[in-house]
Amino acid sequence: MIEVLIYSLIIGAVGGGCLAAGAARMFRAPEVQAMGSFRTLGELNACGGDPISHFSFGLGFLFSSAASAVAAGALTQDVFHRIVPNWAASILLFGNKNVEETLQNPAKMLFAGAGVGAVVVAFLNTLSAVIPEKLSTIASEVLVPATTYLINPVMPAIFWLAAIDGGKMCGMWATVLGGVSALVTGNALPGLVLGILVGKSAEENGYKSNVVRILIAVVVIMFVAIAYFRGFFDQFFVAAA
Amino acid sequence: MEKENLSFMDKLNELLMKDWTFILLVMGAAASIFAGTYLYISHGTGAFNEVSIVAMLQGGMETGDYSAAAGFAAGFLIARILEGPLVGLLDIGGSLMTGVGIGIPGLLLSMGWDFPLSNFFVALLFGAIVGVVIGGVIIAIRKLVPSGVAVGGTGIMMGAGNASGRYLAPMIVICAASYNVYAGIGAIIGSAIFYKWGKEMTGGAILGAMIMGAIFIP
Repeated sequence: MIEVLIYSLIIGAVGGGCLAAGAARMFRAPEVQAMGSFRTLGELNACGGDPISHFSFGLGFLFSSAASAVAAGALTQDVFHRIVPNWAASILLFGNKNVEETLQNPAKMLFAGAGVGAVVVAFLNTLSAVIPEKLSTIASEVLVPATTYLINPVMPAIFWLAAIDGGKMCGMWATVLGGVSALVTGNALPGLVLGILVGKSAEENGYKSNVVRILIAVVVIMFVAIAYFRGFFDQFFVAAA
Repeated sequence: MEKENLSFMDKLNELLMKDWTFILLVMGAAASIFAGTYLYISHGTGAFNEVSIVAMLQGGMETGDYSAAAGFAAGFLIARILEGPLVGLLDIGGSLMTGVGIGIPGLLLSMGWDFPLSNFFVALLFGAIVGVVIGGVIIAIRKLVPSGVAVGGTGIMMGAGNASGRYLAPMIVICAASYNVYAGIGAIIGSAIFYKWGKEMTGGAILGAMIMGAIFIP
């Protein structure tokens, strides 16, 4: 318990600080390389420098993160995408309403984010650790079969259809690689993701582009290697013999 | 005191806008996210991702087959690393939380190399090294690749990823209903309430099943 608390404080402080500073850099992108996401940037702008808006926006996501942490130990991406940047901004804006000196200032966001991150991560992890064993048994009895369905076949089907809707080239690469991936690894998803990546890149840059050629080479080598190490090729010899 | 403090913050601010400090920021973020996954594997809580994605890692831990986790998340990692420098914004959800937090652990465990996940500080250090590599690659691509090259497909993957998350709530209600009658009733009530509130139904379904189950399952 103490172990989880200490680790959570370290994780939250380091991650929260770095990500909040990276989020502050978003306001200078693309001239400055930033990290975060477009939706985070949009949401930070949408709150318009009002500390109450930033705070309540983060609070809403804290509740759903807490539910997910208690149920499955998954803190959700919202902790670093939404709660930390918005609460860090909110704390800074209570002292100074000027967004350029607060929200868009990486140094101040670094410290505010580290503080918020440590508190939020520690809170979520201890909350999840104190729930009785009976509850987590029920959660896993329900969650394990549900997520097994999700991983196979629900997600492959969704990604496959999304690839087909994304255009002929993308759909073709995804269909072939997804099928190969299902044969070789037992799950079509890795192949579908790579198929979408290769197909869309080829569509946008053409097959003459070096980026596309390197991508295709990497994908082919990867699947051949996986097939070899998982003993896929042996099946043919057994059938022949 | 005020003046000195200000000048320190201003200097730090200048510093944090530089290209190379981006590498440090990615390093810290990756270290913390990788350590979060360590905490999840060792203590059952702390992974920085959605239930549906963490479930892929969990599935691997139960069956020993990490191909779904590793393949899905590593695909995202590659896509985001290529995209990040081109748009000037690295998506931390796909690259770090999914790629470093789920994909790399999946990859390591599928190869049977669990040393990076054996201890909290080793995990923190390993995550930091991964972060330095990712940050360095991004800054290098930024300097080397001419503008105008686009890596596509992340929009489709994002859309499909979000769509699959939505499927989890109905799956949970169905599985709760087939596991136990009280858990099932709880999941129905929970998801209905969360739907009414406009919250993610997945959380409501699980919490409902847990609460009703805790009260009525002997």
